[in-house]
Amino acid sequence: MSDFLSAYSIQNWLESCPQGYLEGTEFGHLPGETEPELLLENEILRQDAIATTVQMVVGERCALAASSGLINAAPDEGSRRYLATQTLDEARHVEIFTQRLHDLGIRKDQLEDTIGQYVNPNLVRFAEVLLEKVDRKDFVSGVVGQNLVLEGMAFSVFELMHALSAELNPKFGRTLAGTIADERRHVGFGENRIGSLLKQHPEKKPEIERMQKEMSYFMLATFADSFRHNQSQAEMDRIGQERGHAAYQGVDLGELSPEQMEGVLADTVLKEFKTRLGRIGVEYQTPVRP
Amino acid sequence: MIAVLPVSADTTVPVDIHDLDYDRFLEEVHSFEFWFEAVSGYLTGLTWGHRPGLVDRPRTPEERERLVTVLCNYCVGEAAALEGASGLVAIAPNRLAKVFLATQVVDEGRHLEIFYHRLRDLGVDDPESEVERRASRSLLLFRRRLLELVTSKDWEAAIFAQNVILESLEFAVFASHAKDADPITADLLQGVIRDERRHMGFGENELGRRLAAAPHIRSRLGQTKKELDHLVLDALEETTRLIGLPRDEHERLGRLYLGSVERLGFS
Repeated sequence: MSDFLSAYSIQNWLESCPQGYLEGTEFGHLPGETEPELLLENEILRQDAIATTVQMVVGERCALAASSGLINAAPDEGSRRYLATQTLDEARHVEIFTQRLHDLGIRKDQLEDTIGQYVNPNLVRFAEVLLEKVDRKDFVSGVVGQNLVLEGMAFSVFELMHALSAELNPKFGRTLAGTIADERRHVGFGENRIGSLLKQHPEKKPEIERMQKEMSYFMLATFADSFRHNQSQAEMDRIGQERGHAAYQGVDLGELSPEQMEGVLADTVLKEFKTRLGRIGVEYQTPVRP
Repeated sequence: MIAVLPVSADTTVPVDIHDLDYDRFLEEVHSFEFWFEAVSGYLTGLTWGHRPGLVDRPRTPEERERLVTVLCNYCVGEAAALEGASGLVAIAPNRLAKVFLATQVVDEGRHLEIFYHRLRDLGVDDPESEVERRASRSLLLFRRRLLELVTSKDWEAAIFAQNVILESLEFAVFASHAKDADPITADLLQGVIRDERRHMGFGENELGRRLAAAPHIRSRLGQTKKELDHLVLDALEETTRLIGLPRDEHERLGRLYLGSVERLGFS
């Protein structure tokens, strides 16, 4: 285990993240990069971007609370030190997505009200299921919920958003690319560390499986609300803005309706859950589809 | 400190952060970006907290023993700081304080990591059990009390214990030790001291504002100080003896520690 944890040292993190792929960035993107004018000038597109970014801020706030809360529950020093790096990664994500809300025109004094207005209640329930485990200092369930379920979801969502943004919004695309690199590390830690802990505590599996099923349901409900109420695509068609044709999971996103996109994303995340949970010896539980 | 702050979308000019209005100043110094800029200046190129290629000083077995015990107790202090800072993230009253504390969490984790690494350099195979074996009782009691304050969600008392009392103690001891330490230990202590200065600044600023706005907090914090002072001064005495500091230096460090809490009006 110590060999595996040495790959997650703070020294490695410093070299690969702040002194690596974040070098030269400012709030996760290149200095001087801005949101596209089209997004800032079209109220429907701007409101959709704000709504999407609010979910990201809320998800990252949950991840910050979970990763910092798990430090004092960790069974070994190596895991504590790794979680220290994850805590700062999550704080950085909170900061850069909050900054994006400001870039989209939300004033500082409007921030919390805006978050309250747009946050999806299903995402709040998703976070509550996880934070309840963290509050109880349940390290194994907390890391599965945080590093496999929450981070696994974020990883796939950010990849989809990155594919959609890379061409039309390089600033946001770059911000997402740095975040995806962080999430990849977090998922890797979860898989590696929890596999061995679950062998020591097989009695935890039923509880973890229930948690995964519950969190998956709230995740799917969040996706459903987000895609079905998203007006961006219709607005882009209305104003004659040509769609991008980025590829994601082998499909051309420019050819899909929001509902089809929701289906592709949900299937991708659930498939990833199944694979990752299988690697740590947990049986994936199919959630009810909202 | 001069930081380059974006002024508009397409232009940047150097701005002294102390010229900013107070809210903007806090927004700046409690950000990941500020931490990133600050540590880039002194951590880039270091490996396990020191410049590569430094040559260790020869030491007798007794000197090695003393250094191992000192480093083990630094680990106790840093572990307390890591646990304290991570617990404080949950009870921090706003986003900026949470983000600052997240930077402090990684700083404390880094300190712990480099002290562990230094112990391995000195031939300690299992630093975790060595730290447990050599830990000072006073520091362990301090750590327990700090975590009780965090768990009870007493923001002011916990920040006072962590970012004023503990960080001031560490700052004083590390600065004194670095003056006469071997080149590797001195190098890593210098980096740690720079972090501690930032943490103390946060604690003083946060509590200074709160004390000004709600003076009744003072008596509660005074009680916390009274309760922790003897643990801090005992730990200080034990550590300075192990480092081999003369008596007058020990007294100077005691005064330095007391001076840092006096800045907040506690005598």
